Amino acid sequence: MLNIVVMIKQVPDSSEVEIDPVKMTLNRTKARNVVNAADLNALEFALRIKDKVGANITVISMGPPMADAAIIECMARGADRGILITDRAFAGADTYPTGLTLAATIAKIGNVDIIFGGDETTDSSTGHVGPGVAEFLGIDQITYAKEVDYEDGYVIATRDLEDGDETVKVHTPVLITVLLNSNIPRHQSLRKKIDAIRKGVESWGINELGLKPDWVGLRGSPTIVRSMKAIKEPEHLHKTVPIDQIDTIIADLVSKNIIKVGGK
Amino acid sequence: MSEFDVIVIGAGPAGSSAAIKLAQGGMNVLLVERGDPPGTKNVSGAVLWGDELSRVVPDWERSAPIERFVTRKEVAFLTERSKIAISYSSQDLMEKKSGKIIVRGKFDQWLARKAKDAGAMLVTGITVDKLVMDDGKVIGVMQDGDVVTSDAVIVAEGANPRVLINSGLRPKLSDHDVALGIKETIKLPENVINERFNVDSKGGYASEFVLGFLEDGLLSGGFLYTNKDTVSLGIVASLDRLRANGMTHSYDIMGKFEEHPFIKNLIKDGIPDEYAAHLVPEGGLASMPELYGNGYLVAGDAAMFTFSNGMVLQGINYAITSGLLAAETILENKTKINKETLSSYVTKLRNSYVLSDLYTFNGIQNVTWSDFTQKTMPKILDSVMMSMFDERGMPKKHLMQVLTAAVKSNGMRYTDLISSGYRMMRKM
Amino acid sequence: MKIEEKLSLLNYKTDRSYAHITIDPDICAGCPDHFCVFACPANCYTLINGKLNFKYEDCVECGTCDIACSHGSVKWTLPKGDNGVIYKYG
Ligand SMILES: Cc1cc2nc3c(=O)[nH]c(=O)nc-3n(C[C@H](O)[C@H](O)[C@H](O)COP(=O)(O)OP(=O)(O)OC[C@H]3O[C@@H](n4cnc5c(N)ncnc54)[C@H](O)[C@@H]3O)c2cc1C
Repeated sequence: MLNIVVMIKQVPDSSEVEIDPVKMTLNRTKARNVVNAADLNALEFALRIKDKVGANITVISMGPPMADAAIIECMARGADRGILITDRAFAGADTYPTGLTLAATIAKIGNVDIIFGGDETTDSSTGHVGPGVAEFLGIDQITYAKEVDYEDGYVIATRDLEDGDETVKVHTPVLITVLLNSNIPRHQSLRKKIDAIRKGVESWGINELGLKPDWVGLRGSPTIVRSMKAIKEPEHLHKTVPIDQIDTIIADLVSKNIIKVGGK
Repeated sequence: MSEFDVIVIGAGPAGSSAAIKLAQGGMNVLLVERGDPPGTKNVSGAVLWGDELSRVVPDWERSAPIERFVTRKEVAFLTERSKIAISYSSQDLMEKKSGKIIVRGKFDQWLARKAKDAGAMLVTGITVDKLVMDDGKVIGVMQDGDVVTSDAVIVAEGANPRVLINSGLRPKLSDHDVALGIKETIKLPENVINERFNVDSKGGYASEFVLGFLEDGLLSGGFLYTNKDTVSLGIVASLDRLRANGMTHSYDIMGKFEEHPFIKNLIKDGIPDEYAAHLVPEGGLASMPELYGNGYLVAGDAAMFTFSNGMVLQGINYAITSGLLAAETILENKTKINKETLSSYVTKLRNSYVLSDLYTFNGIQNVTWSDFTQKTMPKILDSVMMSMFDERGMPKKHLMQVLTAAVKSNGMRYTDLISSGYRMMRKM
Repeated sequence: MKIEEKLSLLNYKTDRSYAHITIDPDICAGCPDHFCVFACPANCYTLINGKLNFKYEDCVECGTCDIACSHGSVKWTLPKGDNGVIYKYG
């Protein structure tokens, strides 16, 4: 049977995060924790492959102990196994040691055919982690995927590139990063959630993965943040107009070059 | 063999309290909640009155997220240009900490956590579709076609009882069963709240309003409670009057309330942070579903257990107590759960304030939701006050004369006033 | 503050695969009262040129419209899973 790994991250709900006006950092404390949205799209593609040809899906996530709730949610949608990679030593990691740690986890799981991840996370938006994992593992990668299918050892995926779509066919093992909103994730099931809670989430730390403290966490991170700037949102103009005047208004906006009508 | 001893539907105050009690009693409990986390679907004022929770969470006030304790309670009539209020401030009220002002978003999450800590399995983000029956007995719940079995189910789904309706265990709601609650949460700095409402940082102000200024047959109550650094402002409006009116949007009643000069002042410079709406059970005994059946019990708002007399709106305390009593009933009959053994739930409710209040105040909605209470009384009071305090260098009249004139000018006879007043006193 | 602005304060997780409330346009077309328009606290029902428009995305799941509609047009269910409105205070 196919072995699929889906990498997910628990993030603060982006619509609830406020920016601390003094410290210029994100105030995450008030926001609900959710599964990063694009990761749910990635999981959905994995589940569709499972529906089609059968697969064993393992969800992995690096994060604090409370991130097990995010993994349980994925199991409630149909994943079979959950592993939380959690250790004090991993704290403060940038994308480099995060990729390394996830790659080590996947290597330890062993015999993985397809690895899925969201294209990027809403709380840091780097898009580095997926490609990083593929490089550490030395396998092929498909980024910006908006359609994914599997047939006889190959993944067929459509990539959404700036000037068009590209469809590729890649032999497994392969890593795929999935674009946000590329599908509609299925709902959680009560039956599956109960089973997931009973089964529990495995917890792996630095020792289980055979990594060295210098390679991971803050110590293994080359990035240094020098400063942060808050960007002021431009003011929005609100105006309510009768519905039958919309065409005239659009024509007006077009003539003033404020908006453009037509393709890209 | 069932998978669980008990499944509780809904992690509001009723469901979580029941789950805590059952888990403490050693039962294998599943608590299912559609909100994730619990609280994200729920709306209340909210003042939690009383101390029922201490029966399962000793010293709960220390760990619960309580915003403030009520130290100033008001009941006020608003006419278009006046406010007539009874204001009660009390050291005793403070020391007894009888009214706790809470925010459900935080509180429900805390209480559900207590159920989990006590050993219940908490499953969030899942909506139960209906109960599953076999040979007239409830044997579990259904979600998306899957069945999860249990020996008993406690339905604690709140004021919009879809599970009961979907299971054929109660008719759809009507205008007389519920009222519509609309609420706004408005940010104000803590020190501004303290000054404006004349309370200290622990103390809180809670006021109920009769919106006597509403016209065209509309009836609605209002409330304002102070949280730590937000204010809860809301209305509870009669649906049958809104229907009869037929030309006012429910949200415009809320708009009129917040625009009322006396309310506008209280929320001045506040930043609106949330808008919410929810049903409130109002029908009393007449709206109640069967409270128990073979294999299931109904608690809290789903059972229509609320109390409102215009001076307080209570439901959370009724939810907690009924949840605890439902749990007790199951614990006492765990080896033999059937319709007959579960009937002791009703006896327990009758012996507690939950059902005895509902019987004592049966029909109170006809008084609180009457034109007399909501329109005539505020106007008469307004006229009386005005004629007493509008000093024009004229000979003063006896209060009785003032009152008679006020009654007359509002198109009533004196005897009407006395009989309406009497009816009101009796019901309240 | 207008109702649209109040609603914009709210946080939703919108289920794009399932509308938890649906209406029957044929019934609405002949409706004498359109009480749903007045009852709904979230402005989900609006009349545009005499035609009833409904959007479930702003729904706060209170259930009022199901009571309001006495003509059998509204089909009301709860959103699936944790979709729908997410109150911070409630
Ligand atoms: C505007 C307003 C102001 C109020 N003010 C006060 C006040 O100041 N003091 C007071 O005591 N009372 C007040 N009340 C009443 C009070 O809110 C209720 O009486 C109380 O919440 C009832 O508790 P409950 O546990 O029965 O129901 P709820 O609190 O409604 O809890 C029901 C739970 O079940 C969940 N649920 C529902 N259906 C399902 C399903 N199918 N599957 C899974 N989960 C489900 C819901 O998400 C919810 O968490 C107010 C009500 C309103 C609307």
